[in-house]
Amino acid sequence: MHPDLFSPRRRSLLQMGALSALPWGSGAWAQALAPGKTPLDGGRLVVVMLRGACDGLSALVPYADRDYYALRPNIAIAAPDGSAQTALRLDNTFALHPALGPLLPMWQQGVLGFVPAAGLPAPNRSHFDAQYQMEIAQPGRTSSAPGWLNQVAGLRAGARGPAAALGVGEANPAILGGPASVKLIPRGQAAERTGVLANDKTRQALLDLYAGDDSLSQAFRQGAGSRMQSAQELSSEKTAADVRRKAMAGDMPMAARQLDRDGTPAGAQAQSAQMLAASNGAPDPVGLQLDAQHLGTLMRNDRGLRLGFLSAGGWDTHANQGAATGQLANNLGNLARGVAQLRRDFSEPGDVIVVMSEFGRTTAENGTRGTDHGFGNAMWLIGNRVNGGRWYGQWTGLAHGNLNEGRDLPAHHDYRAVLAQLLRSTFALSDAQLSAALPGVNWDRRLDGLLAKT
Amino acid sequence: MPTATTVNRLLAWTLAGLTSLGSPALRAQTDTGAPSANTAAAWRATSRLGYAPTPASAQAAQAGPRAWALQQIEAAYAASQRTPLLPAELARINAPLNDIVRDFHAEREARKTLRVQASPDATARAALPGAGGAEVFSRDMAQSAAAWRLMACSDPTVEDPLLARMTEFWFNHLNVFAGKGTVRPFVGHYVLNVIRPHALGRFEDLLLASAQHPAMLFYLDQAQSNSRGLNENYARELMELHTLGVNSGYMQADVRELARILTGWTVNLKDGEGFRFAERLHDRGDKTLLGRNYPPEGMAEGEDAIRFLARQPATARRIATRLASFFVADQPPPALVDRLSKTFLATQGDIRAVMRTLVSAPEFWAAGNQLFKTPMDFACSALTAAGGVKERREIVQTLGFLAQAGQPMHGWQTPDGYKTDAATWLAPEALTRRADHAMGLAQRMAEPAYLNVFLSGPTRERIDREAAPLRTGLMLASPDFMRK
Repeated sequence: MHPDLFSPRRRSLLQMGALSALPWGSGAWAQALAPGKTPLDGGRLVVVMLRGACDGLSALVPYADRDYYALRPNIAIAAPDGSAQTALRLDNTFALHPALGPLLPMWQQGVLGFVPAAGLPAPNRSHFDAQYQMEIAQPGRTSSAPGWLNQVAGLRAGARGPAAALGVGEANPAILGGPASVKLIPRGQAAERTGVLANDKTRQALLDLYAGDDSLSQAFRQGAGSRMQSAQELSSEKTAADVRRKAMAGDMPMAARQLDRDGTPAGAQAQSAQMLAASNGAPDPVGLQLDAQHLGTLMRNDRGLRLGFLSAGGWDTHANQGAATGQLANNLGNLARGVAQLRRDFSEPGDVIVVMSEFGRTTAENGTRGTDHGFGNAMWLIGNRVNGGRWYGQWTGLAHGNLNEGRDLPAHHDYRAVLAQLLRSTFALSDAQLSAALPGVNWDRRLDGLLAKT
Repeated sequence: MPTATTVNRLLAWTLAGLTSLGSPALRAQTDTGAPSANTAAAWRATSRLGYAPTPASAQAAQAGPRAWALQQIEAAYAASQRTPLLPAELARINAPLNDIVRDFHAEREARKTLRVQASPDATARAALPGAGGAEVFSRDMAQSAAAWRLMACSDPTVEDPLLARMTEFWFNHLNVFAGKGTVRPFVGHYVLNVIRPHALGRFEDLLLASAQHPAMLFYLDQAQSNSRGLNENYARELMELHTLGVNSGYMQADVRELARILTGWTVNLKDGEGFRFAERLHDRGDKTLLGRNYPPEGMAEGEDAIRFLARQPATARRIATRLASFFVADQPPPALVDRLSKTFLATQGDIRAVMRTLVSAPEFWAAGNQLFKTPMDFACSALTAAGGVKERREIVQTLGFLAQAGQPMHGWQTPDGYKTDAATWLAPEALTRRADHAMGLAQRMAEPAYLNVFLSGPTRERIDREAAPLRTGLMLASPDFMRK
């Protein structure tokens, strides 16, 4: 089931010229790994995949474009005017959805940048095909292939070394599938549980049964150790947060701890304590934020883990997607909390977070106040290496003549070209390594400058 | 794309894994120690030509494993020709296809109406009649199909065990994905009317039945392909995955020609037709597939092309390889693949004949040809040990386990089907979650004492030190139980 260089599909790509040349060579800034360094030492990468096609035009709002409001009479996000229900201004072209408020400081600090119109090289309106192709970085392919993040993980320790990648939430996402070993933990609080291993008697009996030298026994013991450790790290992190929160509450006078009927703290002291608690991530995080916290904790404790993967669903808003409030706004709020959590845990000089979705949604709203499957979408990049506070690449607005098939945002940039910039900057991958991870990608010089050179 | 080196490394790793899988477990022992050669063979036969021994099959298979195995083929074929014993609450998945099509169409119409009435206010929408329940029909159909598969794989009074196995194999070979909205309500019907009746029949009949079922027509977009808007998806996978295999000599031009031949093969939801040949959408020109000329003959072109592809030596080889990997070893012995392939060609794809060759082969019984259970194998074998599905809770828990383990029922998105090798499924933390599932199941079942004879000495001794409730769980979570 492995890709074959001489399969008809591959030949047809060659005929089309998509793979006609090695990606870049002359133009791109080539890098060499510093002596004495292990591959992927340069930084850490976290990929957040929004499954179901997030409506990028609600997240990154082209508020200055009159067509945007004409196309979306009921669901457009109002242009920024400083009030609560309007978009948050970034520059003269774009603004953020108000639910993405937690990202605004990152833009202002210059660590958040966008590529507003990226995507697959050709439209594919099937969620599962498009996601799969995005994960294997081989547009057009439907048969089995390793995920690109697995390919990158393999650079560090080959197929048998310790895991360099950690996935949270999915059993075996395609992006992490392949020969390199990866670590996978479940979504939510399940990751904090040791299951039957928590019982000493059961655990000992199982370890005795798997005491042999055969590969099965070795795998079981390794898995049991890894799971016990993950669960312990995650639950002790949680306990520490609880203790911090309780200590803070305990230091306060009773009166200050009381809340008004509407739930707001009664006194200024309580309010500041609440904010402090929030900044520690102390309010029990849910959803993506909890998964982000788990990812951050485990990757902090194991420095061999250089690649992280998270996903969030629920973006397929065909009907009633809402505007400043509503289902999409709620989902964006959850995402923003998750990304803010990631930024807290991944703010070392070499850390980068990328947020992407399989395709964008139609520029016009449909008859049910939602949007249908489109094409181009924004990619978000966050990290100290990102030359943020600005966006990159081509943007041609929403005038009818500039749309793909008269309906979608075009994908001016191959998503793999954005990833190539990222992998080159973060990990100094060679041309050959980039070609292996992202087959057929071309270096897109229009994106140069998006990330700092190594 | 893996380089030759990474692929080789993967293969090397798999082989290394398998050779060292041969721990004491399941090793045939002498009369003094209990399990005999027949016992190990019986474990292999019942676990591979089904999912696990039952008290009855354990006894019958030990009495004469090879004869027992051959009998299973005839029994499974006979069962495949009988109506499945569907419990009443699942009967809907086997309703006449046109009824399902009509119900699905009605569901979609209702959803459209709902959208038209839709209000931007979610609470107002929730108050609409039928709101939130718009896709209940499709969802129930998919859940019922999954429930059937679990009942069928774990209880010989519900379904013949080898027939359940062959159904798994062919469903995976001709995979469809229940997560695609248009496929969802049809999956159960596809299992029961395309896969099951042909699972031990002729391959080309099976292939043709799949080509004409809405589950496949929708899954690979054939339903949308027509002379003006050609969609090559199904035509490509028909050659690449269902028959010839990649690198077997066909070209992109052949994919296109096959897609042209199949134009007009579609579904008519509106008029309740699960399959229809729409002459109007058919490309009436001449076509050339793999050097063979196809003059315009409407639907007969497609039937001929599918039967032609099914009979090719490359197809025989591909099916033989997949069967041998599924039933014998992750890296199947080439000599066995050759023999299976020959039988396939000599009998025009008679699956029963190929299976007879397979279970008569010494390779099937060779102790060195180990297989590690997939999550599906593990879940079905544990349920079998529990005596089958007793209550809904077991179905919910088992489907949850499969999803969490990465092998959700009818849930593989791409047409290549699940992998079944140890390299894919022997993952460290996944093993500990099998133990969770085993312990959970063990809380509500009687101790399967009849399995003791199949356990290795050290495993049995260790388990015997514990009290009854833990013993059952340890039995199912033991390394011995992870192999088939």
